[in-house]
Amino acid sequence: MPELSYREAVRDALSTAMRQDDDVFIMGEDIAEMGGSMGVTHGMLEEFGAERVRNTPISEMALAGAAIGAAMQGMRPIAEIMYEDFMTLAAEQVVNQAAKLRYMSGGQLTVPVVFRTQGGAGWSPGAQHAQQLEAWFVHIPGLKVVFASTPEDVRGLLWSSIYDDNPVVFFEHRTLYGIKGEVPEKIEPIPIGKARVHREGEDVTVVATGRLVHESLQAAEEAEKEGISVEIVDPRTLQPLDEETIVASVKKTNRAVVAHEAVTRMGFGAEVASVIQYQAFDWLDAPVERVGAKFSPLPFAPVMEQFVVPHADDVLAAIKRTVGK
Amino acid sequence: MATEVRLPRLGQGMESGTIVRWLKSEGEAVAKGEPLYELDTDKVTQEVEAEASGVLLKIAVPEGEVEVGRTIGFIGKEGESVAAVEAPAPKPKEAQPAPKEEKRVSEPTTNGRIKASPLARRLARERGIDLASLRGTGPEGRIVAEDVQRSEEAPRAVAAPAATSTPLSNVRKTIARRLTEAWTVPAFTLTVSADMSRANELVERRRELEPDVRITITDLLTRICAQALVRHPAMNVQYTVDALLAFPNANVGIAVAAPQGLVVPVVHNAEQLTLGQIAQVRSDLVSRARDGKLRTEDLEGGTFTISNLGMFAVDQFVAVLNPPQASILAVGATSEQVVPRDGELHVLPLMTMTLTCDHRAVDGATGAEFLNTIKTFLEDPGLAL
Repeated sequence: MPELSYREAVRDALSTAMRQDDDVFIMGEDIAEMGGSMGVTHGMLEEFGAERVRNTPISEMALAGAAIGAAMQGMRPIAEIMYEDFMTLAAEQVVNQAAKLRYMSGGQLTVPVVFRTQGGAGWSPGAQHAQQLEAWFVHIPGLKVVFASTPEDVRGLLWSSIYDDNPVVFFEHRTLYGIKGEVPEKIEPIPIGKARVHREGEDVTVVATGRLVHESLQAAEEAEKEGISVEIVDPRTLQPLDEETIVASVKKTNRAVVAHEAVTRMGFGAEVASVIQYQAFDWLDAPVERVGAKFSPLPFAPVMEQFVVPHADDVLAAIKRTVGK
Repeated sequence: MATEVRLPRLGQGMESGTIVRWLKSEGEAVAKGEPLYELDTDKVTQEVEAEASGVLLKIAVPEGEVEVGRTIGFIGKEGESVAAVEAPAPKPKEAQPAPKEEKRVSEPTTNGRIKASPLARRLARERGIDLASLRGTGPEGRIVAEDVQRSEEAPRAVAAPAATSTPLSNVRKTIARRLTEAWTVPAFTLTVSADMSRANELVERRRELEPDVRITITDLLTRICAQALVRHPAMNVQYTVDALLAFPNANVGIAVAAPQGLVVPVVHNAEQLTLGQIAQVRSDLVSRARDGKLRTEDLEGGTFTISNLGMFAVDQFVAVLNPPQASILAVGATSEQVVPRDGELHVLPLMTMTLTCDHRAVDGATGAEFLNTIKTFLEDPGLAL
């Protein structure tokens, strides 16, 4: 199997779709000559030309609206929002238009648009360029929300998102672009709404997203040394959520930790914790532990930034709390 | 007449209150509903209103802690005299109890609520385990699933190696059924001791004369009991719901500890048998009982039972009735006892016997006379010939 970086995997999905399908095109700020601020679309202008790799003015609302309009007209646009912090600027279009139009038109309109965006701390981008706002969009009926953590997943899920007839907000993590992983020779669509069990275990289930999947895998290695067997579940799609896989895992292990880089309070993990406590109440042997960022704007100072966001150590501590060690 | 002001109960569970201060002074006029004093309870400090109008004649308790219901003052007409009220010494503040040692791990309860995980609760519910009996080892003393599982395993671990399960044999089932039945019978017991000097001599002598027929005390007892039953026909009976059955023959059962359990083969018509014949019948029955070769008829028709545990050095015991028989004699070991007789001390071989009787069929005096006859015969065996 070929090995791709997370960044290359995203580009591969975009390029493959564009090669096979004229309706697919990308638009965003600095995605053409510059290849995007994270280099994801590097080289695509040369292959597909300026018509299909469209630089937009610095207006997230305008580019999101343009993408929605194109989608309503039958195209399958992928709009890149440079930082998910800037999703706030696109929010009106995403939340009030994209999410609502199919419903409000009685199904006469579909909006097959993908809003690709990225975020995440760990490289001192400061408080306005590193937030993890995925939970905001999970709260909106009419949107699908994806957050992939591996090259294989990001490629297969982006593919499914492009060909989904509903608007998808597609989160990528800044610090994952460089990680490499094996991917199938040919793109294999990964169904939206299906979690991935990264590692099987008996004692604790960690439901993790994005960067925290990797931190949790590391924590699981450490826990293993102390005789704690950890199962890692990555939902991959936050909306719709694969509750079945999560609940089945917790019923097996009787303990759960939810982990993400986003601020803990009102984070996506709160919803997962609620699903678990409701559906697996009589199987829980410990309170559901939550791991997330401290309730603070992200500091610029590297040590402070590291202090605010969670790491493998935090996941390990939470794992140990659930087993009472 | 002056109205007593008593400390009111202002809330459930209020036992006492502390008077902070009076808002009126002695001799001051007070109207019903006017604040009279300030009271501090364990919940609040509040003003208490006067329940009568007049003059505050006397303040019996100026301040301090007072039990509910105690008179703390008087309201009446000006100049009215009031009974002297002994002011209680203000209760000293209870010494602050020493702060309890924090024992979070071993005390999973807070305010009676048991701290247990949902899984632990479910497991305990399913397995019928009382959570209160468990010690929580989880965070903050929480009872976790492991604690429930451990508690279930613990007694097993202790009990399991000691007990092996053997299906009940029919003998065991019969014993259980009949003795349970016996336990429902109103029974009384009578105990007597007999001087076994002559009985022992007789047994010894017979053994010398007839070494091939080994006479035992049980044989002699069988003979004696059979003769006693003949002399006391009121003892040779059985109670049934609508009639008392009296038997012409003394069929004496002998309790035998066979390998498969207790069996009671019967020496039929024992009153017609000589001691030697009884010994032969008994010897045959006992050996067949030990070999498991008893026939049904060997076990039927008993009207009386002897249970002799003397060979096991039991001093005395009470036997459970062998239904439907009306009585059973429990025989202990013969041992030398110091007995005062005619102003002198004698060392005599005494044997203690306890007769259990079905009171529905036999009265106490009847049983006593019968038992006395047995005693007499044992002490003078020639009388039973």
